[in-house]
Amino acid sequence: MFKYVLKRLVLMLCVFFIIISMCFILVKLLPNEPPAAQPGTDTYRIIMMRREALGYNKPLIEQYWRFITHTLLGGNWGLSEKMYIGREVWDVFLTKLPPTMLVNIYTMLIAVPIGLLFGIYAALKKNKWQDHLISTGVMIFISVPGYVYCFLIQYILCHQLIRWTGGWGFPLTMMSGNDYFSWEMFVSIIPPILALGMGTIAGLARYTRAELCEVLTQEYMLLARTKGLTRGQATVRHALRNSMVPIFPMILGEFIGIIGGSLIVEQTFGIPGVGPLYLESINTRDYNFYLLMNSFYTLIGLASGIIVDLSYGFVDPRIRMGER
Amino acid sequence: MKRILSLTLALIMVLSCVAVLASCVDDTPETTTTTTPSTEQKPVECPGHVDADGDFLCDTPGCMTPVKKAGNYTYNTYMTEFPSMWNPHDYETATEGEILGYTTLGFYTFDYNEDRTGFVVVPEMATQMPVDVTAEYVGDVWGIDEEETARAWKISIRDDIYWENGDHITAYDFVESAKRLLDPTAINHRADSLYSGDMKIVGAKEYFYGGRSVTAQGNSAFSSYSEDLDSVLVFRLAPASPETDNQEIYFRGWYGFPASYDAAKTAAYLEGGDLAGTAFTAAVAAKMEGKTLAEIKADPEMKAAWDALNNWFAGYGANPLYLTLNKATYEVTTWDTVGLLAVSEYELVIIIEDELSGFYLNYSLTGDFGLVHIPTYDACAGVDDNGIYKNTYGTSVENFMSYGPYKLNYFELDKKIELVTNPMWYGYSDASRAGQYMTTRIVYDCYELPETAMEAFLQGKLDSKGLDSDYITQYTGSERIYYTDGASTWFIALNPNESAFANWEKDNAGYDKSIITIKEFRMALSFSLDRQNFINTLDPTGSIAYGLFNNMICSNPDLGVMYREEEAAKDALLAFWGISQDQIGPGKWFATKDDAIESITGYNLEGAKNLFNQAYDKAVEAGIYNGTDKILINIGTPNNTSKFYSRGYTFLVNCWTEAVQGTKLQGLLEFTNDSTLGDAFSDALKANTVDMLFGVGWSGSQLNPYGLIGAYTEDDYRYDAAWNTSAEYMDFVADNGTTYRASVLDWSYSLGGETIEVQVVGEDGKVTGDVEDYSCGTNANRPEERIRLLAAIEKRVLEQYDMIPTHNQSSASLLGYQVEYGNQEYVYGLGRGGLQYMTYNYTDEAWDAYVAEQGGVLAY
Repeated sequence: MFKYVLKRLVLMLCVFFIIISMCFILVKLLPNEPPAAQPGTDTYRIIMMRREALGYNKPLIEQYWRFITHTLLGGNWGLSEKMYIGREVWDVFLTKLPPTMLVNIYTMLIAVPIGLLFGIYAALKKNKWQDHLISTGVMIFISVPGYVYCFLIQYILCHQLIRWTGGWGFPLTMMSGNDYFSWEMFVSIIPPILALGMGTIAGLARYTRAELCEVLTQEYMLLARTKGLTRGQATVRHALRNSMVPIFPMILGEFIGIIGGSLIVEQTFGIPGVGPLYLESINTRDYNFYLLMNSFYTLIGLASGIIVDLSYGFVDPRIRMGER
Repeated sequence: MKRILSLTLALIMVLSCVAVLASCVDDTPETTTTTTPSTEQKPVECPGHVDADGDFLCDTPGCMTPVKKAGNYTYNTYMTEFPSMWNPHDYETATEGEILGYTTLGFYTFDYNEDRTGFVVVPEMATQMPVDVTAEYVGDVWGIDEEETARAWKISIRDDIYWENGDHITAYDFVESAKRLLDPTAINHRADSLYSGDMKIVGAKEYFYGGRSVTAQGNSAFSSYSEDLDSVLVFRLAPASPETDNQEIYFRGWYGFPASYDAAKTAAYLEGGDLAGTAFTAAVAAKMEGKTLAEIKADPEMKAAWDALNNWFAGYGANPLYLTLNKATYEVTTWDTVGLLAVSEYELVIIIEDELSGFYLNYSLTGDFGLVHIPTYDACAGVDDNGIYKNTYGTSVENFMSYGPYKLNYFELDKKIELVTNPMWYGYSDASRAGQYMTTRIVYDCYELPETAMEAFLQGKLDSKGLDSDYITQYTGSERIYYTDGASTWFIALNPNESAFANWEKDNAGYDKSIITIKEFRMALSFSLDRQNFINTLDPTGSIAYGLFNNMICSNPDLGVMYREEEAAKDALLAFWGISQDQIGPGKWFATKDDAIESITGYNLEGAKNLFNQAYDKAVEAGIYNGTDKILINIGTPNNTSKFYSRGYTFLVNCWTEAVQGTKLQGLLEFTNDSTLGDAFSDALKANTVDMLFGVGWSGSQLNPYGLIGAYTEDDYRYDAAWNTSAEYMDFVADNGTTYRASVLDWSYSLGGETIEVQVVGEDGKVTGDVEDYSCGTNANRPEERIRLLAAIEKRVLEQYDMIPTHNQSSASLLGYQVEYGNQEYVYGLGRGGLQYMTYNYTDEAWDAYVAEQGGVLAY
């Protein structure tokens, strides 16, 4: 297994290097954004001088070498030239990561148990009205795009609730400050938690139900009951555990997604997170920001693939990877 | 063993991720708060007085005692995007300058006149108006001749200006700040504030550019061509390239060459087209590329090719500057060559390149002048390991210092900004300002969605809210709605380029664009536009535009006179829209000129139909249109997501399709929309990749229409690049009764103070051969003639029908019940009084109670 992991890590680094190199070259081949000033004016010249100083006009191979040595190996991601002018892109990214993580962690902590419970309950009540009710809800929340119920949640909880109650409603946006574990902060992020959690709950419930339904019909479940176990004991000890083999990596994947923000939800609920950064960095051609975001999420994506693969072995000791 | 190793490896990976994430949580450099400066720094007990509002105001300049207000008054507002940096040397956008608006000051400032109907410029950080000390600086050092005035100005500053931490501000701080602003290694975005515009400080540009090469278009670098310039003018046919500072030669845009035409392709095209059979060939052009005119003229073969090209181009009235670039290398200079001197602790002398006095001098000194807290600024400066200069001044509470009425108290990136009263500001101990600056705290929240911001306003969390067209309809009857006219006028812009259209038609059989070059066609487009319906549909708060300048453009800032109130401006408008002076007067069609102007609608469908027919006939007669081809007009827009552009395109298409019904062009007019232009829409029209833009115009220069006219006449700015304003001549009768003739471009230069050569025109309407120098800038001191000349140029530009005015900018907003504007009327420079004059109906506590009493949602 050690060889397997080592091999995967080396391959991961190779893939990372190839992806990043391709992205660097492709993004640098794009024409530069026209300066927001009239050609021939002093302002225009200053912008061009800054670009020159930042190395925009250097040969691509020289820029690439600088990127490898100074950025990837040296950790200097440079200054933002468009989105957060004059700031270190790495500092901005780190500043904006905690709010995203906070909302996503709360979402996972709430959505995963609820999703599992709905899935288990629906499986146990298979083809009864409870199952139909949960399955219908699951279908709705999976089918409807997330931004739709994002706006609906804001409209109901933050706009209308205050009118219905005559004065109390959820805050329109996330509270400011870094008092992340206060009650006020928690209340202010309930709407985005709900907006983000609906999809996770629905997805997990559907998956759990399907897996559990299959396991519950296995012969060893009948054996377990004939041994004298109660239905609850048989379900928890045997059925649920076996059904977790495909579900656990899914949950793990959701947790890894904690550091990835949601563009719509963050904009709607005023979360100063990382959600809009990736898209904006491409739109504004903020090269340093784009390269940081691309590198970070590529690395996280590749690493999570390895972790998920390894997790199978932990969940089910019978599974061995890379061994003959 | 292997399993243990692999588990350990996996664990290390997971722990690494957790460690990184954990470090992120701890690292929150932006979310910091400062406390009010300790009262230990200055005496706590201090003399003072209580103003009419019950506020305690300390009379000791620079006293650290917090200002005791009768209550807390918070002004809550918002931004859709937050500034990341507000370094006075480097900020670019209005958003980035927002914090500086409360924390910095100018030497002078705008204030209301006595009856609050207009503005006056009064000293702010200065103690008196600038004093002309030019005579003291005559000589070669500063390039000032003995007879000159208004080149050197002394500004006396107050002795009680302090930074928020108590550090004293003197004249030396201004000089040291300017030195850092112009630092050649820093390449600050705002460096040009000291060497461009009206007030150009002597030596500032040379200091900033020291050691650098700068490329400019030939016609941008020099106003006129002479053979002396041959050694510094470089011939080029290639498109813009980064190596040459992205400078495009004028010729490319004039001819309509797309970016895909490199030097060789461009030369081959010319050789096979207009220059066929001449000495100009692609092979010789390749040799000429990048060489100076002196080098070209030294070689017989290249000279012959150059002469062929130049003679052909001269036939269109253009000159060699349009075919060349100029590359100049600035010598490194020292700071003592820059005309900014601290002559004493509280006296500053500014030496400028061109004479400047009166309002425009004072106005130039209303900005922050780049003043920074030197110790903090220097601590923030550095060079990274890529050799790139960086400076984090103005990026956090700790990295910034205020000297204005408010200081930054809290900053959270993309979330919240809080400013509080700065007790160190001298204004709080100034009895003459009693009753001003009632606001004790300013809070900015970030609402990216307009719906969320509107709901926040209704819930009492915001004190004002700008309205878009949908909300304007909803709240139009509210007593809290305010309409504000802006200075910008929007246009439909065309660039009728005969050669570019002809090129396009060669590749697009069955289609025609050349009819756009017929003036009657463009006139028909203008007259068939129902402007009232246009603004009702697209911009309900706007008003119809009839000229280049609207009612908010001020022609005489000293007296506060608006351009459209001037008789000459009224006459120009009436003449352009076809109303004769004979129709105006008692007992006539219109009693006054104002009545006549009010009658203008700009809409004449029948007239437009006639003009469409005339355009058809002229185009057929001229052989540029066969009478059956479809006429395809490609309308460019920055995007199609904006309602203005998507609805506007549909409106124009419907309007003009309807207008040609029953004319010879019926069924022949077709439209397409290129909605992918983004910020490059202007370039697209100049390059004729689109035929028309709408919703374009110019903002700024509200107090200087004499400079703003350049946007319609100068090559660097004009949308209609095909119109050669240097070859378009115009007669003008000066105050001395003489009629002069010069190009439209030269006339506009003369308004800026340049001396131009004008030809004297005789009574027979022909030039007499006499040539005179002429200038009509501020210093010419002929204000009435200047207005008349401006109006004449405006009329001439309008008569070209390349820029068809549609509507004037305007906006609407709702004001919350907690606050009241200081002035109901909008006045330039002060608006409705801003925070300086804003008053409050409720303290913060009373406001919260009021909102709760209303059920948490307010009705407006």
